[in-house]
Amino acid sequence: MSSVTLVNSLAGLLILTSLLVIEVKQPRWSAILYGLQSLVLVGIFVALAYATGAQELYLWAASAFVMKVLLVPWILYTALSRVSDTDKPRNTISLTLSFVLAAIAIGISFLVVNQIQLPAAGPFKPALAVSMAHFFFGELCILTQRNLFKQVLGFCLMENGSHLTLALLAFHAPELVEIGIATDALFGVIIMVVLGNQIYKSLHTLDTSDLRTLKG
Amino acid sequence: MTGITYLLGLLLIPLILSLLIFASRWLGGMTRFVVFLLHLVSVTLVLVISLLIVRSVLNAGEIFGLENWLHVDALGAVFLLIIGVLGFLVGLYSIGYTQHDLQTGDFDNRKLCNYYGLFSLFLFTMLLVVTDNNIIMMWAAVEATTLGSVFLIAIYGTRPSLEAAWKYVIICTVGVAFGLYGTVLVYSNAFNVMPVSSNASLWTEIVKNASALDPVIIKMAFVFVLVGFGTKAGLFPMHAWLPDAYSEAPSPVSAMLSGMLSNCALLVIFRFSIITNLVLGPSFVQILFLVFGMISVAAAAFFMFTQRDIKRLLAYSSIENTGLILVAFGLGGPAGIFAGLLQTINQSLVKVLMWFASGNILIKYRSRNLDQVKGLLQVIPFTGIMMIVGALAIVGTPPFNIFVSKFLIIAAGLQAGYLWLMVVCLLLLMVVFATFFRFIASMLFGEKPDNVARGETNWLTLLPGAILIVLIVGLGLFIPSDLMSLLKGASGLVLTGNPGQQIAITSLKDFLMPLEHLLP
Repeated sequence: MSSVTLVNSLAGLLILTSLLVIEVKQPRWSAILYGLQSLVLVGIFVALAYATGAQELYLWAASAFVMKVLLVPWILYTALSRVSDTDKPRNTISLTLSFVLAAIAIGISFLVVNQIQLPAAGPFKPALAVSMAHFFFGELCILTQRNLFKQVLGFCLMENGSHLTLALLAFHAPELVEIGIATDALFGVIIMVVLGNQIYKSLHTLDTSDLRTLKG
Repeated sequence: MTGITYLLGLLLIPLILSLLIFASRWLGGMTRFVVFLLHLVSVTLVLVISLLIVRSVLNAGEIFGLENWLHVDALGAVFLLIIGVLGFLVGLYSIGYTQHDLQTGDFDNRKLCNYYGLFSLFLFTMLLVVTDNNIIMMWAAVEATTLGSVFLIAIYGTRPSLEAAWKYVIICTVGVAFGLYGTVLVYSNAFNVMPVSSNASLWTEIVKNASALDPVIIKMAFVFVLVGFGTKAGLFPMHAWLPDAYSEAPSPVSAMLSGMLSNCALLVIFRFSIITNLVLGPSFVQILFLVFGMISVAAAAFFMFTQRDIKRLLAYSSIENTGLILVAFGLGGPAGIFAGLLQTINQSLVKVLMWFASGNILIKYRSRNLDQVKGLLQVIPFTGIMMIVGALAIVGTPPFNIFVSKFLIIAAGLQAGYLWLMVVCLLLLMVVFATFFRFIASMLFGEKPDNVARGETNWLTLLPGAILIVLIVGLGLFIPSDLMSLLKGASGLVLTGNPGQQIAITSLKDFLMPLEHLLP
C-alpha cells in the first residue's frame, strides 16, 4: 500500500472512530475512543510526513501524541469519572438518523472539496474531505448530545478535523502557528471542563436540557 | 522608542500584569490594594501605548514588529484606538463596580483577583487580534478572546451566568472553527502562488500578491470567514449566544464584549474582505455584507421591541449596530467605508456608556426589569442622564456622534443608488427609535420603588460615563483632524489594499456631492 493510500484509508478510519465517540453510551468510553481517534490522527501525520517528505509533520505527530492521545483524553476521563453520571442524559436523535446525517455530511464535504484546486491537496482529497466532514460531525455531536462533556468531545472532533486540514494544507506554516493552535485547543478543553465541573457542582446536572433558563 | 518596542510593550504589559494580579491572592491584607493598583497600571499603560502607536501610524503609515508578525496600519489603528480608550474607561468603571460587589459580599478577594486577572488577560487577547499580521495567529487570537472572557461572564457563578457562559464558549468556538477553515484555505492558496512562500501567512504579503490567488478558493474561504467570525461579532442568525452572554455578564464585562470584542471580530472580517475584494472585485463581499447586515438590523429591531429586560435590550441593540456597520461597508465606495468606520467608533462609545448606566441601575434597583426600574432621575440622577444621553445618541439624534455616522451611512447609500434599501433601513431604525423612546420614558417616569434608596453608588461608577458623554458630544460636533486622517487612511486601505492610500474627503460636506471625485 502506498503512503498516499495509507493516508486516505486512515482518514476513513477517523470517520469510524468519530461515530463511535458520538454514539457510545458511556461518556467515559467516548474519552478513551477519542484518544484512539487521535492515535489514528498521529498515524496520518506520520504517513503524510513519509508521503510528502515534510519533516515538520513528524514534530506535529509527536506533539499531537502527547496532547491528544494522552493529555486531553486523560483530562476528560478524570472529569467524567469525578461526576456521577446517574441521570445519564441521552442523545436527542436515533442512531439511524445520526448515521444518515453523518453520511450526508461526508457527501457534502466530498462535493465541496472537489471544487478546490489546490496542488497541495492533490492526491489527498479524500482525506481533506474527511477533515471537513469532521466539522459537521463535531456540530452533530454538539447539537444532538445532551451531556455537557459529550459536547466538549464534539469540539474535540471539530478540532481534530481542523488539525488534519492544517496538516494537509498548511504543514509549511511556522512551528509557532501550530503551537498557538494546539495551545488554544488544549486550553479550550481545560476551560470547558472546568466550566462543566462548575456547572455540575452548582446546578447538579450535566444535561443541557436542564439548562434552559435563558431564552436565547 | 521604535514601533517594535511599543508593540511588545502593548502586548506584554497586560499579559504580565494579568499573571501578577492572579498571584496577588496570596498577599493577604494587601491583596485588594495591590490588585487595584496593578489593574490601574495595566489599563493606563495600554491606553498610553495605544495612543503612541496610533501616533506612529499617523506619521509612518504602518508599523511592524517581530519579523512582521505584528503589524498596525490605519485600519488596525482605528480598532486599537477603540480598545485602548474604552479599555481604560471600562477599567476605571470596573473599580467602582467591584468595590460595590466587595461591600455586598458578592466578591471576595479570590474572585477579585480572578476578575482583574482575567480582565487584563482578555485585554491582551483583544490587543493581539488587532496587532496580528499572521492570519492563522489572528484566528488563534480570536479563539483566545473567547477563552479569556468566558470566566468573566460566569464570574458570579449563578445559574443563568453559568448557562450563558457555556452557550458562549460552545457556540463561539464552533463558529470560530469555521473561521479557521477559511483562514487555512487562504493560507494554503497563498503558499502555492506566492514568490516567497514563507510569507504566505502574513496578511500584508497576501494582500500584495492577491492578484495571483484562486477566485473559487477565496470565495469559499470568505464565506467560511464571514460565518465563523460573524458568529463572534454576533451577526444574525449566528447570534444565539449574544443576548444571554451580554445580559448575564457583569455590566463592565458586557461593555467590553459589546464595545470592544465584537469590533475585533469585525476587524478580522474586514481584513479578509480586503483580500477577497482584490481577487474578486468588490461586489461579492458587498452583497454578503448587505444581506447579513440588513437581516441583523431587522431581526434585532424586532427582538428589541418586545424586550422588558434592560440588558437584553442593549444586547440586541448591539446586534443592530453591528449589522448597520456591515450595511455601511456593503454600500461600498469611499463614503460607505468611511461612514462604517466612523459608526464603529461612535457606537462603541455610546454602547459602553449605556452598559455603565445599566450597571449602575442594576446595583441600585437589583433588577434589570423595566417594570421595576422607575423614577430613575430621583434615585440616581447622573446615571439617569447617562442613560438619556446614551439612548438619544444611539438612535441617532443630533448633536450626538451617531447622528453624524448614521447620516453619512444613509447619504452614502443614496449616493450609491440604494434608495429602497435605505428606506427599509430607515423604517427599521424608526422601530429602534420607538423602542428606545419607550425604554427611556418607562425608566424616567413613575414613582421610585420604596426599597430603593437615593444616591449614586460611588464616583468611579460615574466618572468614566462623564468622560464618554464629553467624547460623544464632542465627536457629534466635530471630528479632530488626526482622527479624520486616520479614518481616511483606513478607508483607503479597505478600498485598495494599499496602506499609503487615503481617500480624498476634505470635510463631511463632501458626502452630499456626487462621489466620483472621492475615489482614490
